[in-house]
Amino acid sequence: MDQHLLSIILFTPLAGLAVLLFIPGSSKNVIRIWANVVAFAGFLVSLPLATRFDKGASGFQFVERAEWIPSLGVQYLIGVDGISMLLIMLTTVFGFIAALSSWNAVEERVKEYYAMFMLLQTGMIGVFLALDFFLFYVFWELVLVPMYFIIGVWGGPRKLYAAIKFFLYTLAGSVLMLLGILALYFQYHAQFGAYTFEIANLMKVVLEPGMERWVFWAFFVGFAIKVPMFPFHTWLPDAHVEAPTAGSVILAAVLLKMGTYGFLRFSLPLLPRASNDVEIVRILAILSIVGIIYGALVCLMQKDWKKLIAYSSVSHLGFCTLGIFALNPNGIAGSVLQQINHGISTGMLFLVIGVMYERRHTREISEYGGIAHVMPKYAIVFAIAMLSSAGLPLLNGFVGEFTILQGAFEANRVWAAFAVSGVILGAAYLLWLYQRVMLGQVTNGKNLRLPDLSAREMAVFLPLIAWALWIGVYPKPYFDILEKPVQQLVERVKPGYYQGQAALKAGVR
Amino acid sequence: MMTGVPLSWYLILSVVLFSLGVAGFLFRRNIITIFMSIELMLNAVNLSFVSFSYELKSVNGHLYTLFVMVVAAAEAAVGLAIILTVFKNRGTLNVDELNSLKN
Amino acid sequence: MSVDDAIRFLPELILILAATLIMVCDPLTSTHRKSTLAVLAFVALLAALAATAYSSTDPGKAFFGMIVVDGFATFFRAIVIVVGLLTVLSSNRFLEREGANSGEFYALLLFSISGQSMMAASNELIILFIGLEISSIASYVMAGFLRDDSRANESALKYFLLGSFASAFLLYGIALVYGVTGATNLSDIGSRMQPDSLLGGVAAALMFVGFGFKISGAPFQMWAPDVYQGAPTPVTAFLSAGPKAAAFAVFVRVFTVAFGNIGDRWEPLIWISALLSMTIGNFAALGQTNVKRMLAYSSIAHAGYVLVAITARSESGVAAVMFYLGAYALMNVGAFTVVGHISRKGERYLRVEDLSGLGVRQPLTAAMFSIFLLSFIGVPLTAGFFGKFYIFKAALQSDLIWLTVLGLLNSAVAAYYYLRVLVVMYMQEPGEAVNEVEPLSPALRLSLICSAAGTLILGIFPSGALHFAVKSAVLK
Repeated sequence: MDQHLLSIILFTPLAGLAVLLFIPGSSKNVIRIWANVVAFAGFLVSLPLATRFDKGASGFQFVERAEWIPSLGVQYLIGVDGISMLLIMLTTVFGFIAALSSWNAVEERVKEYYAMFMLLQTGMIGVFLALDFFLFYVFWELVLVPMYFIIGVWGGPRKLYAAIKFFLYTLAGSVLMLLGILALYFQYHAQFGAYTFEIANLMKVVLEPGMERWVFWAFFVGFAIKVPMFPFHTWLPDAHVEAPTAGSVILAAVLLKMGTYGFLRFSLPLLPRASNDVEIVRILAILSIVGIIYGALVCLMQKDWKKLIAYSSVSHLGFCTLGIFALNPNGIAGSVLQQINHGISTGMLFLVIGVMYERRHTREISEYGGIAHVMPKYAIVFAIAMLSSAGLPLLNGFVGEFTILQGAFEANRVWAAFAVSGVILGAAYLLWLYQRVMLGQVTNGKNLRLPDLSAREMAVFLPLIAWALWIGVYPKPYFDILEKPVQQLVERVKPGYYQGQAALKAGVR
Repeated sequence: MMTGVPLSWYLILSVVLFSLGVAGFLFRRNIITIFMSIELMLNAVNLSFVSFSYELKSVNGHLYTLFVMVVAAAEAAVGLAIILTVFKNRGTLNVDELNSLKN
Repeated sequence: MSVDDAIRFLPELILILAATLIMVCDPLTSTHRKSTLAVLAFVALLAALAATAYSSTDPGKAFFGMIVVDGFATFFRAIVIVVGLLTVLSSNRFLEREGANSGEFYALLLFSISGQSMMAASNELIILFIGLEISSIASYVMAGFLRDDSRANESALKYFLLGSFASAFLLYGIALVYGVTGATNLSDIGSRMQPDSLLGGVAAALMFVGFGFKISGAPFQMWAPDVYQGAPTPVTAFLSAGPKAAAFAVFVRVFTVAFGNIGDRWEPLIWISALLSMTIGNFAALGQTNVKRMLAYSSIAHAGYVLVAITARSESGVAAVMFYLGAYALMNVGAFTVVGHISRKGERYLRVEDLSGLGVRQPLTAAMFSIFLLSFIGVPLTAGFFGKFYIFKAALQSDLIWLTVLGLLNSAVAAYYYLRVLVVMYMQEPGEAVNEVEPLSPALRLSLICSAAGTLILGIFPSGALHFAVKSAVLK
């Protein structure tokens, strides 16, 4: 089954969807059970990926290849390396968490709700698996549709606005990206006389520098909107605030990573010279830093709990893009790890909000206060999520941020200095949030009789907490997995980097 | 019989007639007049066909004229029927008053 | 007339004979049994489709080169006949509802399709003109088929006046071509046309005006919203797919075969028209509240995309035109069919809001409408995506970079108004219009499922159709 492992992972949710269509919409509990079974199965089938993954091998593993549209050179070509393997694990874990957490949250059109989640799951896994640019684009666009419906149908009061904004922003970005893809495609044909979208082939294309920069910006728009990088972030707070809890969780944990993943899988390897262009790197680093600090400052001013976490994503993903464009092993490995971390911690934070929202139906921070007295278990979970997001040592966030800062420091000390201020601001708004919501006396009478976390809710949080601790205490396996692909990336963008480093060390000695 | 009258004169006449037809179509408000303007345009084209045919010494142009006349007749039959139903329902033949279709 | 000639003209012969037969049977059929005539029309269309397939096995010219059966002709014949099949399926129930079911309608439909089929296969300007007129005259009547509905009257009148106006331009262009080259056969014109011929350029421009009207490309698009809005919805579906596809077919054939060597002269015209059509269509559609009118503007925009492919002036451009029109015909007929179903007797419910809550009341209808809308937007795994992809690929191949950029941005703008329909269908409470809507009749259901399945199949496995289009795009 090894040779079809990835296809199985990819199509398990879709198979679940096919069965779901035959369950009558009125038997809601059957649908819920089935959705959870499918999501858990999706996680189980992805486990062999982690256990059988060969850390030492360079290049892609579990590759599957089939013709799709021969006349266009489009293939069904999927495979994983360390980066995509980790992101797929993140996706399958959160697929299950999202399904489990929606048990009570959704009462209307349950069947359609889970159907959309299953479709979304296939789309996201496909994005991370695709090694054919066209196939990637197909999945990339496909993800839009279910997410649009999830926000638009099951979202909050301003859901229509948020859903359309989400869709249009991403679509506008991706059509420009398509232009860049086609430019590469034609260049390949001009240079090698064949049509292909296979990434490994497209890497052979040598573009003239001006053209390469154009293509880079075309990709950039597509990916930066998805990440979202400042100043393309404005869709994110709306989408997050209006989406239902599970939608926000998936959005934060997985969907945003599609953008950073795009940089790593496409921009850097396909356009190495543009990615290493001093001007471009400077612009991207500045945008990342502005994102980090601006996001954090906006967080300090939020009255809405969910919006605060949404903006914190802008800040945290600024770290991820900064790490990528530090263009050294620490920066990139840290960035990937931080993507996982952001998924875990922000995912948890959105779940925390969701739990409270189900009880009180408000997200105004001022409505709360002293919740720790009423819901002690909840207080602990929230504290762990918050601290992991803030980057406390021994929790996951610290490892990622620290590695990124190391990378940034190596690339440019000023960047690192600014980014550190983002870490401090991050701790500030998160701690302040915790203080306002959880500590002190209960001032609002409605909060007096809130039930604490149920067993199902604990089941949602426990795996995430365990994961956060694992990365925080013993991150070595992750760095091992990332070592090879990161090395390849750095060598691709900065040829001779490792030799230079070795020479430097030798010289110091 | 046609010696002395160069081809370009016929063509110019055809252009003039066609332009008159276009102008009538654009500026007249009565549906019947508009319809007659279209017929004028078709006949201007017929004139071109016939004169080209004469010039090229090929009979095809004459045949095409016959085809066009048949088509024009069919168009007239259908067109007048449509105009009639419009008049029956609306009681007017002024195109400016036919504006019920909008957003 | 040799046997070969007859076989290559068989689809048209079948359609014309069947139409005549229906006309004869119509007075003999009692009012409540008119559906039999619909069945007859359906069978005739199936036979014509089979004849199309059969005649394509032995491609070649007929009637002294006036008719040509090649892959291109076969492709478009198939499109217009399939559009006809879907129209018969969706119009029967509609006409019953409006109390206007009669054999006349099906006869007109078959005549119109025979004209379009003739256009698809024409290799000669006069045959082309006659095909166009057969198609148009029949469709003028169809647009005004509901005689007592003043909207339909107005629609028919406008369609008739502007259609004949356009025909006159086209005909003038033909006359000039005849004068310049002494020929009306496309291949002959192509070989005799001088690249620097002034009158040749004028002729191309005049014919472009004529075709521009027929395909509702800007700046000749102004009739389309009124006509599409006023005509009975199944007729609108038909008008926006069948005649349009056929007009594009002859447009492409004439401009590639006959005017191929004056391409540099007409390319700027079409470039501008493509951009105008996309922009005007999409931006005007943003503000529409009437669904039919919105789809009319959207069809102007889609004509713009197809014009982009024609501007490319290449074989892959022609292939893109073919694929796109095939995809477009399916999704457009499907979308209008849904609209006709929801509008109810007298077509009262045509606003976008009237669709609200359709997702709850009729999930199947809404799901299929969503497929069509997503395909209009160009979301992957739908036919619309590959259509657009193929068009822009062809345009880039011909170095039309700016047109491609503007086209792609346009398609992102367009997403907004399609999404609005999705929003009301799924995200708003059911309104009065949707609450009492009748269930889908079996014929309607079949029609919708066929178009939706076609849209998805062309989107997921486009290889077959693409291959055929590429193979057939060589026009001589």
